[in-house]
Amino acid sequence: MTAGVPRIDPVTLQVLAGALRAACEEMGAVLVRSAHSANIKERRDCSTALFDADGSLVMQAEHIPVHLGSMPDAVAAILSEQQAEGDLWILNDPYRGGTHLPDITLISPVFIGGELAGFAASRAHHADVGGETPAGMPVDSTRLDQEGVVIAPTRADDAILAELVDRMRDPRQRLADLRAQRAANLTGIERMRELASRHGAELLAAGMAEILDYAERRTRAALAGFADGEGEAEDVLEAPDGDLTLRVRAELRGDQLRLDFAGTESQVEGNLNCPLSVTRAACLYAVRVVCDPDGPPSAGAWRPVEILAPEGCLLNARPPAAVAAGNVETSSRVADLVIDALGAFADVPANGQGTMNNLTLAGEGFTYYETIGGGQGACPDADGPSAVHVAMSNTLNTPIEALESEFPLRVRELAVRRGSGGSGRYRGGDGIVREIEALEPMRYTLIAERRRHAPRGRDGGAPGRPGADSVNGEAIPGKAAGELRAGDRLRIETPGGGGYGDGDG
Amino acid sequence: MLLGVDVGGTFTDAALLSGDELHTAKVPTTPDDQSAGVIASVEAVLEHAGAEPTEVEAFTHGMTVGTNALLEERGARTALVATRGFADLLEIRRQARPSLYRPCATPPAALVGAELRFEAAERIGPSEVIEELPESEVERLAGAIAEAAPEAVAICLLFSFRDPSHERQLAAALREALPDAHISASCEVLPAFREYERCSTTVIDAYLSPLLGRYLGRLAEASAARGLPAPLVMRSSGGTAEVAEAAESGAWSVLSGPAGGAVGAAVLARLTGDGNAVGLDMGGTSCDVCVVDGGEVRRTDSREIAGRPIQLPMVDVHTVGAGGGSIAWADPGGALRVGPRSAGAEPGPASYGRGGDEPTVTDANLVLGYLAPDSRLAGGVELDADAARRAIATLARRLGLEQTEAAEGIVRVANQEMARALRVVTVERGVDPRRYALLPFGGAGPMHAAALAEELEMTRIACPRASGVLSALGLVAAGRRRDTARTLLLSGDELTAERLSSEVRELAASVREDLAGTELEVVYELRYRGQAFELAIPGPAEPDVAALAESFAAEHEARYGYRDPAAALELVNLRVAAVVRGPEPRPRAAERGAADELRREARFGGEWVDARVLRGEPAAGERAEGPCVFELPEATLVLPPGWRAEVDQTGTVLAERSGGSG
Repeated sequence: MTAGVPRIDPVTLQVLAGALRAACEEMGAVLVRSAHSANIKERRDCSTALFDADGSLVMQAEHIPVHLGSMPDAVAAILSEQQAEGDLWILNDPYRGGTHLPDITLISPVFIGGELAGFAASRAHHADVGGETPAGMPVDSTRLDQEGVVIAPTRADDAILAELVDRMRDPRQRLADLRAQRAANLTGIERMRELASRHGAELLAAGMAEILDYAERRTRAALAGFADGEGEAEDVLEAPDGDLTLRVRAELRGDQLRLDFAGTESQVEGNLNCPLSVTRAACLYAVRVVCDPDGPPSAGAWRPVEILAPEGCLLNARPPAAVAAGNVETSSRVADLVIDALGAFADVPANGQGTMNNLTLAGEGFTYYETIGGGQGACPDADGPSAVHVAMSNTLNTPIEALESEFPLRVRELAVRRGSGGSGRYRGGDGIVREIEALEPMRYTLIAERRRHAPRGRDGGAPGRPGADSVNGEAIPGKAAGELRAGDRLRIETPGGGGYGDGDG
Repeated sequence: MLLGVDVGGTFTDAALLSGDELHTAKVPTTPDDQSAGVIASVEAVLEHAGAEPTEVEAFTHGMTVGTNALLEERGARTALVATRGFADLLEIRRQARPSLYRPCATPPAALVGAELRFEAAERIGPSEVIEELPESEVERLAGAIAEAAPEAVAICLLFSFRDPSHERQLAAALREALPDAHISASCEVLPAFREYERCSTTVIDAYLSPLLGRYLGRLAEASAARGLPAPLVMRSSGGTAEVAEAAESGAWSVLSGPAGGAVGAAVLARLTGDGNAVGLDMGGTSCDVCVVDGGEVRRTDSREIAGRPIQLPMVDVHTVGAGGGSIAWADPGGALRVGPRSAGAEPGPASYGRGGDEPTVTDANLVLGYLAPDSRLAGGVELDADAARRAIATLARRLGLEQTEAAEGIVRVANQEMARALRVVTVERGVDPRRYALLPFGGAGPMHAAALAEELEMTRIACPRASGVLSALGLVAAGRRRDTARTLLLSGDELTAERLSSEVRELAASVREDLAGTELEVVYELRYRGQAFELAIPGPAEPDVAALAESFAAEHEARYGYRDPAAALELVNLRVAAVVRGPEPRPRAAERGAADELRREARFGGEWVDARVLRGEPAAGERAEGPCVFELPEATLVLPPGWRAEVDQTGTVLAERSGGSG
């Protein structure tokens, strides 16, 4: 320990960690409360975080797992820039700190006594970001710029924000949501300053460093508890014109884990590509599930994890590859893949539904986007829950009574898809059936996985049933777009989770 | 004489107000049948006051029967009738999982199993009936459900808040087919939009009502047999209802217990200050916090209890698992943690000497000199300071800390958890805590109040003389209240003064029945059309639409920083409550000389300090400066250096922090 750095005792550690967590939660509350779009308010598809002056993510409000591991890259993207008090950075470029275009991140440097002390950041999934298809989730994009407005890291002011939202649909709602994000950042700045004035800026900085170390120690303690070894796993993504293979090799040496994706397919013409930050987020989700589910949401937790993905592969794509589905679908598959590989030395669950079942319906004057839950894979000691979001998402559904009051849609069925979870000593969770009738002409876009390949069981457990989708009873593929006439019915049946162990639990 | 009885997890408290004289009693709670402990506490407090049961004019009861049954899943065998295609709503919930990183953590089980969920072939949409409910279908369902013989049935159909006719048809048929079962229809429980939350509320109502009916029946009988008046029951809204009404509507009493505390906090805030206070009720296992604004408890219209939403008007009480019995431990990363595990009453903290050897918050308070080693806690427990020290020393070694450091740490970490709860009800709701007094109560609240006030930069504390039994006092003061609401979704030409006042009149008529002397509370829940959430704007029964629009725009601007004159205004819900004000108790401070003077060493700012201790009920006008400790009859108030206190006419210790040392 360097001389002059205040010693952080176990109590101060908890006190500062608690205060920073409360600050992040308050940022999240400000964002959800003052945003306008249903996507943020009803579904809570957003995250807020505080960083130290080196750009390490110290603490985050826990909303959406895919945001947790990927936010550090957003701050890294502006770290080399000159920072000034009152700066506001905006970005969504997946190749420069973003994930996919609908996720817009705002970052504010925090100055205390004239010194850069850290960053406050907020990320929200916006209902639309311009582009050829409403909602920024096209099924067939091949280049990033087809998916919406690409925002490189930019120092923003009111004029720049106004200019950006003018290129998107419903600019007033966009601007209101961006203002809500800015309000969240300002709350974070204020709370960090209060902590510095109470404890001193030096102790706050030392405390943030200690929170990162603490999270690291917890992960290392968990990794050290497993026997050294290697695990390999292989799985596929269901591209429209064939399967894409993903591979990982996990190597555990003491308290250090390496995940190497060599052998994974190269980036593709479609939009299942991931920037490395999304791949990293999925890896870290898996490591956290296996090692330390209750640890603080802090970047220190993944210091012991080294991630290698060959440049230009599907999981470390280069511009201008399209990435819309990478964040939602490929990330889900990477989480499965890594959990499977870690199964070589740790107890891990069977595969969950492994998709978010992204559905966009858009017609005259409206865009509705929703993701649908499914079955969770069974664990070594418990059944998998039914009808929940698994892995990288955890957004709420839109109430039927809200949906039908706002859009020309009628929900015909919302039910648990009985029997879709795999059998075993512990059963996989069941998926969901959601059937929607169009009341006027509109266009649908579906992006879903696990339609051709079932979520796998573990240790002798049976696989879950793959998802199945149809229009008026006629099957459609998992990645589909088309027109619905008034009276047409779109039915989504989401996958069940895999079972665990032999037997009929 | 006014009587209030509050049943808590460990103790049942009674408060009897005779003029301005307050008598209190504490007896052990009787979990198998709470009414036995209730009657025992009544007998104890009457004996203390030398009064007869027949002198009691009103008897109000707060209970945890409903909450416990919900937490332990011990309610009635309940069936559910839903719109065809939607019987699983209750199980799908909002599709979120309870724990992000524990894949197999399960949400609480649906209170109605799949075999007791029935679907009705009918459908109502946002503006019209899409599929009629034929009489033959009603008969079929009534027959099938009668066959399954549930104790209770919940009915929740889509859009019943728009058109309740199908639910009413089914409810009538089921009441005839199952005369002994309790039937809850969502349009009767509370006709508000968002189907899952409404369904969950209706199911909880059906699930709890039979049990509540039996319990309240026993209590009413026992009261009558002793010459007591028929009890009134505290509901989650902070107002009371007669036994028959409470027994018919189980979902409305789930927060009966905490509501008494919140109303008690409101009474004291009105009596001792400007009516603005943050209530902090810390007991053995948990801590409840609430905000009192202008003398009224803040309410909310929805919350979750043990992971199950209830969409009804309730006092806005937030609960965290930090109490005197919360256990301190070292986690694998080497951090000191407190709770959520609690030593409860058995074995209790190490210092109770009943076999507990894990250190708790109470043990730390004892080691630090905040709690007197020679004092008896409520219920006659004698504390063993050596046992507390041993337990803390073991933990201290594991963390590489000195024993005293560890004790201080336990208190700081527990305070952190409570400070988070206080932030949730204040800053996260847009309330600036610095404008409020902290009003601590419950056995442990006043011990932590000063540290929490400093954490939230609050400068005032009001610690009531009756802080150990404030919930019971709140029951004495509670008024009658009946709430109702309707989802209207009106905008544009439909949003007229005539339409609103006629809706208010209808709702008012439904809640005012046989409540004499009522005031009406009307709240308009408005939003800009297209927004997902509404703002609650109080208004008159005969509203002016332009004035409502202006109030809404002003509130929107205050909360979100702008108004939008171009957007259309939409009325989502109309809420109406009939309220009969309760009595305003004025407890009086003790006569001069009731408190003894002592001194003892206590730990403040990392040092042992010789602190003044006032034991017993302090007299009005008594002053003290921190460091000092008030050992009140049922609670201990700890004031560090920098605080000055004076006792007011009601016996409340009013403390203020002079700047500087904070």
